[in-house]
Amino acid sequence: MSFREYVSDKFTGIMIRLICAVAAALFLLATGTRPGILLILLCMLLPVSAGMLLHDFFRRRARLKELNAVFDGLDRKYLFAECVPPPKELYERRLFDLTRRAGRAMTTAVSDAETAGQEYREYIETWVHEVKTPITAARLICRRLNGDIRQRLTAELARVEAHVERALFYVRAENPDRDCVIRRTCLNDIAAKALQAHKALLIQSGVRVETEGLEQTVYTDDKWAAFIIGQLLQNAARYRGKDPVIRIAASPLGKQVRLTVADNGIGIPAHEVSRVFDKGFTGSNGRSCGGSTGIGLYLCRKLAGFLNLNLRLTSEEGKGTVVTLTFPAKESLPDEILQNRK
Amino acid sequence: MNKIMIIEDDPHIREELTLLLENEGCIPVPVTDFTDIPGQAALRAPDLILLDIGLPDRDGFSLCASLRKTVNAPIIFVTARDSCPDEVRALSLGGDDYITKPYSVPVLIARIKAVLRRSAGQEDPDILSAAGLTLHLTRGTVSAGGRTVELSRNELKILSLLMTHTGEIVSRADLIDALWDNQIYIDDNTLSVNMTRLRARLEELGMPDCIRTRRGMGYQL
Repeated sequence: MSFREYVSDKFTGIMIRLICAVAAALFLLATGTRPGILLILLCMLLPVSAGMLLHDFFRRRARLKELNAVFDGLDRKYLFAECVPPPKELYERRLFDLTRRAGRAMTTAVSDAETAGQEYREYIETWVHEVKTPITAARLICRRLNGDIRQRLTAELARVEAHVERALFYVRAENPDRDCVIRRTCLNDIAAKALQAHKALLIQSGVRVETEGLEQTVYTDDKWAAFIIGQLLQNAARYRGKDPVIRIAASPLGKQVRLTVADNGIGIPAHEVSRVFDKGFTGSNGRSCGGSTGIGLYLCRKLAGFLNLNLRLTSEEGKGTVVTLTFPAKESLPDEILQNRK
Repeated sequence: MNKIMIIEDDPHIREELTLLLENEGCIPVPVTDFTDIPGQAALRAPDLILLDIGLPDRDGFSLCASLRKTVNAPIIFVTARDSCPDEVRALSLGGDDYITKPYSVPVLIARIKAVLRRSAGQEDPDILSAAGLTLHLTRGTVSAGGRTVELSRNELKILSLLMTHTGEIVSRADLIDALWDNQIYIDDNTLSVNMTRLRARLEELGMPDCIRTRRGMGYQL
């Protein structure tokens, strides 16, 4: 609050006081008071009211500064009214009471929403684990069917699993530090895990998978990394072209390791490439092929962020898509993540 | 024959596992009464225990700890919970392996066999013999009638799969499936190419018609 702001805020009051003083002076002059006395009177009164105005300005400015400091120091801003030293003035005190009551209502609402969100997340996680039991039973039962039906049912079950897995990681991405454990892992194991998980889809799509140079050591969470690669494999299989080939290759890049997952599929139109990682974005391919949720790549980017993975996608329509994952050097990982190592 | 105790509360999975293990030539011991499991285990003396973590009344972790006091058999945890802390806890409580649901059947069988072999102190079998062929897995060669030829990695795996199922018809889909489990990611066409090459190798050994094609069904050794 500058002095100018203060004056313009109090303008009406100051004007009324000035007009009153002028009117009183004129009245006194008309009723025969000598001008000398009037001058003395004015010289006494004006500094007093100016002084009162200045005092009020400095007092208020100091108070505002104090409140601002409290606000800036707060982690959760909505608790402001609870943390402020109570005001002395009656009017301000009443205002604060109101703010505080409003704040309390809000705090309750926020904590209710937080609890509800947490419970919902926990329920989803439990649900995911529960639904895996009947899927396992269905898989085991499938084994007794004859060839063709078994293949097809297995592929459908794999699709169910892929959806369930995405739901699980969606929940996990909300609480990343609870589940993410960075460990020294061989890239080959991560790729094998992802390929194994989507075996049914890839085989049925007639995809040939080529791997190269995967004997690299990376520092990452193997489950999360396998999930990310799994999403890329699913996309490559879903948006495949003729004679589909997926090439998974890795090479060291200084202390980092770069992994590319390249396919020769239908590719992504140039104007859509920048939006593929957006939540809910399905694009023209997603619409024409169906079954796209717009969640897979969104989750990939979110999880990659926690793992300090650099995720990049390039694509040419009709030629294919290349996704590059750069695994960080061990030294560049934040200490708090590495401390989770078991 | 190996006796395998199945501690699993879902009746469908229990039944199917029982059937599956029977077909694999094991003696399954399904547990249906979930009181005093350590006592039952001591009585039945299994060679291996499959243990579900989410059991009624009692969780698998504490059960594993008390099982360890009564039996020596290796324990494989089978669970739907796949978080890292659970896995670490399971292995530190004396579990020998940790498999998450939904598992693929060949992977489950392979891991059961691996744990059984480890506990019996056996090595992986290096030599397979069937249908007049002898396959050296580590050397990557196959011999018959005194002659020996070398095989590529893919050919070796295909032949070993056929040899472990001598007499049975193995479908192309199953073959591809099993190859993927062994980190050989081939498609239908590549399988045909590999099959032709494998047959040429076997012809060099003087066994040209060793692998029969059963039209519409698969291959048979």
